[in-house]
Amino acid sequence: MNAYRIQIKFYLEIGEDVAPETWFRVFNTWIPETTDEVLVDVADYSHVHRGTVTLLVGHEANYSIDGTDGKAGLLYDRKQPSEGSFAHRLESAFVSTLKACGKLERDSLLAGAARFRTNEVLIGLNDRLLAPNSEETHAAVRVELDRVLDRLFNGADVTIERDPDPKQRFTLRVDSASEESVADLLRRLNGNC
Amino acid sequence: MSDSATWKAVLADRIPDELGREVDIFATQIELRKQDKIDDTVFAETRLRRGVYGQRYDNGKRFDGSNTQVLDFPSGDLVKGPDTVWDAPGMQRIKIPFGGLTADQLDMLADVAEEYSDAILHITTRQDVQLHYVHIDDTPDLMYRLASVGITTREACGNTVRNVTACPLSGVCRTETFDVTPYARACSRFLLGHQDAQDFGRKFKIAFSGCEHEACGLANMHDIGAIAVTRTVDGSEKRGFRFYVGGGLGAVPHQAKLFEEFLPEEELLPVSQAISRVFARLGEKRNRARARLKFLIAKLGLEEFKRLVDEERKVMPDDPEWTAYLSDLHAYDEKPLKIAQPLNGVAAGDGFEEWARTNVYRQRQDGYAVVTVTLPLGDLTSNQTRDLAEISRRFVNDTIRATVEQNIVLRWVSESDLPELYNALAEIGLNEPGAGTIVDVTACPGTDTCKLGIASSRGLAAEMRARLADKGLDLDAAVEGLRIKISGCFNSCGQHHVADLGFYGISRKVGGYTVPHFQVVLGGQWTGNAASFGLAMGAVPSKRIPDVVARISESYIEGRTGDESFQEYIRRIGKVQVKRMLDDLTDVPPYEIDSSYYMDWGDSRVFTTGDMGKGECAGEVVPLVQFELSGCEREAFEAQVLLESGQYEPAYKQAYSAMVHAAKALVKTQFLDVPEDPDTIVSEFRTRIVDSGLLHDNPVTRGKFANYLFHAQRRNVDSYNEDLAHRFIEETQLFIEAAYACYGRMNVVSN
Repeated sequence: MNAYRIQIKFYLEIGEDVAPETWFRVFNTWIPETTDEVLVDVADYSHVHRGTVTLLVGHEANYSIDGTDGKAGLLYDRKQPSEGSFAHRLESAFVSTLKACGKLERDSLLAGAARFRTNEVLIGLNDRLLAPNSEETHAAVRVELDRVLDRLFNGADVTIERDPDPKQRFTLRVDSASEESVADLLRRLNGNC
Repeated sequence: MSDSATWKAVLADRIPDELGREVDIFATQIELRKQDKIDDTVFAETRLRRGVYGQRYDNGKRFDGSNTQVLDFPSGDLVKGPDTVWDAPGMQRIKIPFGGLTADQLDMLADVAEEYSDAILHITTRQDVQLHYVHIDDTPDLMYRLASVGITTREACGNTVRNVTACPLSGVCRTETFDVTPYARACSRFLLGHQDAQDFGRKFKIAFSGCEHEACGLANMHDIGAIAVTRTVDGSEKRGFRFYVGGGLGAVPHQAKLFEEFLPEEELLPVSQAISRVFARLGEKRNRARARLKFLIAKLGLEEFKRLVDEERKVMPDDPEWTAYLSDLHAYDEKPLKIAQPLNGVAAGDGFEEWARTNVYRQRQDGYAVVTVTLPLGDLTSNQTRDLAEISRRFVNDTIRATVEQNIVLRWVSESDLPELYNALAEIGLNEPGAGTIVDVTACPGTDTCKLGIASSRGLAAEMRARLADKGLDLDAAVEGLRIKISGCFNSCGQHHVADLGFYGISRKVGGYTVPHFQVVLGGQWTGNAASFGLAMGAVPSKRIPDVVARISESYIEGRTGDESFQEYIRRIGKVQVKRMLDDLTDVPPYEIDSSYYMDWGDSRVFTTGDMGKGECAGEVVPLVQFELSGCEREAFEAQVLLESGQYEPAYKQAYSAMVHAAKALVKTQFLDVPEDPDTIVSEFRTRIVDSGLLHDNPVTRGKFANYLFHAQRRNVDSYNEDLAHRFIEETQLFIEAAYACYGRMNVVSN
């Protein structure tokens, strides 16, 4: 699987009521602080129904507070190619997403107003050409995906469900019994908080 | 799907040849730019002509509220135009002629917005669609996919004929003279890529209206504004246009001038072409601030301009395209999906009555209605767009149009379907009432994404929408129908001049800080095709603009006499009284007392204008010859690629094509109507460029560059081989260099 436009979303356990202006302020502080990737701009889309709330635009990837599926969470959206196998790219995407979640949990402006849960995660491939929304794509990614999820959730049982709508992008909803923190998951993937 | 699949290959049978070829060319130009084989300025205008536009931070810098940060993009020095960093994500403008869309096109727009942008589609005040934060390397795939549903981005920006707009009610309007849709479509197709519309000093905008008195196509604020009229000639009704020229907003608004009381329909395209020729030839090229058609007409006077256009019209070679479409005017007529049935008390969801009052327009065809889908700030998500496509298939099929008020309309809704349609829209959050009312605020992108934006037009618009929507039914009927339009700067993309309450972004220095302000412009007239422009009343801090709206509205409600319109009221009370009314709102407290004044709406950073850049809406002035010679270089590059893949005959022929086109580019400096036939081009090149001494092959070269072309024209090739193709490509490159040098000398002489 050559697709590299990987999307990962973790949902907010606490923080659905944080005002869009606050997310906007927080993301703005990330631009000058971040050194390992290029972050460019922040956009407010809080006026649209069931979509992006606040978008942090980057060169390599975008980060957003996303409400597309009716539940607010942090969406990581990889845009530039990255090296390695699909499993490696997927794992890197998880690390970036979890790092961002952790950063929000610790953010001084938010002052503890945001916390993420890890028992549900959305994984998408934002590329209808290389990863059409089909069972074939599902089969093609499954082995490497299972390996990454097994590591991430330390072997805990997971259920994986594909969005069957042919017009939507390839998207999997993963439910796990995990009650662990973002920091725990990140540590398991050898990422630093 | 194979990992090496491409959209171009997958969609090959659905991409029209011409559109596919255009995207191929742009993809090659991107490659040439990466190899530093195409000039910065030429590439900038090239990408603009494909709708690929810079955004606010494309100079690689961003102000964070305290300091200017350098955005460390990986492509280093590579730029996609002067001061425009290669990696900086930009805007993609997508032309939608007269706003006409199909359900399949909506689906595709939704998909490309998700995969290459931020899953948001923005409808502009010119019926275009814009996507933001698009990486230039993704644009060819985006364009192939759009081409597969018949959409081109060609000439969406740059010094070209921009999207041709038309009243979104054309064909179903109760007051129109006739449906202008086929004329808008024909005009758009005819001038797209037309040779006579490639050498403008600035952009060129055209609009069509079906009637005189409504807002309709806003004919009075366009370079060309055509309003449908009929005349009885020899006992039969003849169609034509009240034809206006030289209108425009921008920093210096001009009302259009009446060019022809009745321009017969068969003269629409040739006269538009003749105007293009005069504008290309005589329009200002150096001073960008005075390069629009309105300034040329002001300089020449309307009578002289008309004389020049008439003269040009007489000498232009006939073109069958001028009238071909007239025999087939009804080829694209819309057909309703459902049988017309009246609205018969069908149960509807909460809010239906209010929505129906403001968002439903009864068509002139009994039993059918136009539904306006109100879009907050002109935005909708990819999912909403796909759902809207499904709703469209269910209720109306492909009768969808984007509007200049940044909404979408569905036409030919059977009235009995209105409650069900309302419920369907409610499910996707697109059932807001208030279309065309004071709540339906229009705003350009402003500081959110535009390099020229001074204050946040979208931030203010969002605030105004929220406040006015909260008032909802409590709004007085007198103010409900007023229009609010907001631009981020004086360039008027938000069309503030033609609003009842218009605002444009400016800044003021207070205590060492820069404070966002808006200039208040009152009394513009939206109806009568943008019949009159408003008057500037003074600068007010951005944070007090909602108070301005409240105060002026209340004053109008209380002070108007009888049926006095808002425009009449503002004129009657006068600028002095309005200024007095707003006086206390202009005060700015010190930063230490209230820092909120020093931040713009929707932005938590301390305000600055330090991140403004050079605007791209003016494009780059690249003379037509230089543009065409750049195209020849691309053809030579493609010949090289063919040679490397062992295709010697196609390589040779591609190189010959490049050489002929370079000759043609030079001939056009002397003879605009040079035919396409290669033998005629070579003959004209010999007479006008070589024999006249213009090519100026020096004594050392002894005319060898011209001879490369002459020999090639005479050469009968029995078999194409690598050596021949290779040598000829070398000769072609030298010939193109000689053509550039020749053009350079011509310029020196003419300067």
